[in-house]
Amino acid sequence: MPVLQIEHVKKKYGDFTALNDVSLTIEKGEAVAIIGSSGSGKSTLLRCVNNLEKISSGTIKINNETLVQTVENKAVYPPDKEIRRICMKTAMVFQHFNLFPHLTCLENITVAPTHILGKEKTVAQMQAKELLEMVGLTHKADSYPAQLSGGQQQRIAIARALAIEPEIMLFDEPTSALDPEITSEVINVIQRLAQQHMTMLIVTHDMRFAKDSASRVIYMDEGKIVEENVPEKLFANPESLRLQEFLKSIR
Amino acid sequence: MDITYIQTLMPTLWAGTLQTIKLFVLTLLFSLPLGLPFAIGSISRVWPIKILSKTYVWIFRGTPLMLQLFFIYFGLPAFGIKLDRETAAIVTFVLNYAAYFAEIYRAGIQSIDKGQHEAAKTLGFTPWQTMRIIIIPQTIKRIIPPISNEAITLVKDTALVTAIGVAELLKAAKDAVNRDVNITAYFLAAVIYLALTFLLTMLSQKLEQRYSRHEKQEV
Ligand SMILES: Nc1ncnc2c1ncn2[C@@H]1O[C@H](COP(=O)(O)OP(=O)(O)O)[C@@H](O)[C@H]1O
Ligand SMILES: [Mg+2]
Repeated sequence: MPVLQIEHVKKKYGDFTALNDVSLTIEKGEAVAIIGSSGSGKSTLLRCVNNLEKISSGTIKINNETLVQTVENKAVYPPDKEIRRICMKTAMVFQHFNLFPHLTCLENITVAPTHILGKEKTVAQMQAKELLEMVGLTHKADSYPAQLSGGQQQRIAIARALAIEPEIMLFDEPTSALDPEITSEVINVIQRLAQQHMTMLIVTHDMRFAKDSASRVIYMDEGKIVEENVPEKLFANPESLRLQEFLKSIR
Repeated sequence: MDITYIQTLMPTLWAGTLQTIKLFVLTLLFSLPLGLPFAIGSISRVWPIKILSKTYVWIFRGTPLMLQLFFIYFGLPAFGIKLDRETAAIVTFVLNYAAYFAEIYRAGIQSIDKGQHEAAKTLGFTPWQTMRIIIIPQTIKRIIPPISNEAITLVKDTALVTAIGVAELLKAAKDAVNRDVNITAYFLAAVIYLALTFLLTMLSQKLEQRYSRHEKQEV
């Protein structure tokens, strides 16, 4: 069953086309990595999926519910309340974490379950503690984000995203803001999620991470999906010239 | 200086001080919350609300407080609204200070990183929930210093209401000086104003410490 269906999506910023006829289907349990040079539209794609940006035309379905479709060449969205409900099946992990600095780590994780999902505080806290354990930060429950290292903050951000029980996790360069020697603590958490068959769409610059974690890798350039394949093939035998050059440039 | 003379002055100065404090407290009590809708209005995407809010702020920050006071006390009766001195003073100050606080809130709200709005949105928060639960609590620490500054200015601004004859501290002092041809009362008034602003400064420092606890690094 597909968790995410993207069909012929176009996204324009004024005259500039950031996404040009992108189609992509993600099945339940898949971990898909998106690679590509800076400015190729990777973030824009994620941001369109969880409604941080509105598309210009095309269709996006999340969990078989239509977030947006195109009628007479115009993207049509449902009312805001409906959009929020549909998009809550996705959760985003940002490059710069974007934790809430005025809340403790535990509160960062419980704030959406209590205020948005209407969970009992005690229930939300219990689940948050399980998530903290999963990311190995039980002892930081009562710390504030500013008291944590970057890698720890990103792990809290992952726990916060998981707390809304999404069907698909979106990661936008989750390790790019981290010192190279601590990226592994975040990667380990994401790989554990992959083992648990969490559906994930991961934008990354870390080719080894893509190779090791993804069941499928997508290469984007100039707002288009240029090539996609299982990682073994995509990295060993890139078909398009652009991907060959891209892989050369980052080595 | 003559201690017995000072003692005879104190009751009226003390009554004036109470009036000053009353004006100060009532102004803050009403203008601090009133500033918030104007702040949110001036960043609203609904343009009539935005224009209304911005115009309000522009008028009350762009004209002298004394003029506003005269307008409300002497001018409004021409429109059938007659307020007594004290009410006119409070109304003017509340309207005026709400405009200043609105600007402080607006700047505070807009200083919060866009990523905070985005993170909240992806977690399912409505714009209003985002404001209430995520953004406004973060602005509190940032707006305490400018609000304290305004509060200190307000202590001194209360003296303006002497102009419409409200019996606050400065008026009490002025009456005593005129009556006794002795400026001791002015000195005493200065000491009282200094004491009030000093207390406020201490209070604001305490508040700042309290609200920056989440920024402290672990030791
Ligand atoms: N808000 C925006 N307004 C205008 N152009 C934008 C905006 N956001 C992104 N872009 C442009 O869209 C292109 C794709 O951006 P992005 O998706 O962030 O690329 P990537 O994440 O692959 O580096 C870039 O050329 C960028 O300049
Ligand atoms: Mg990007």
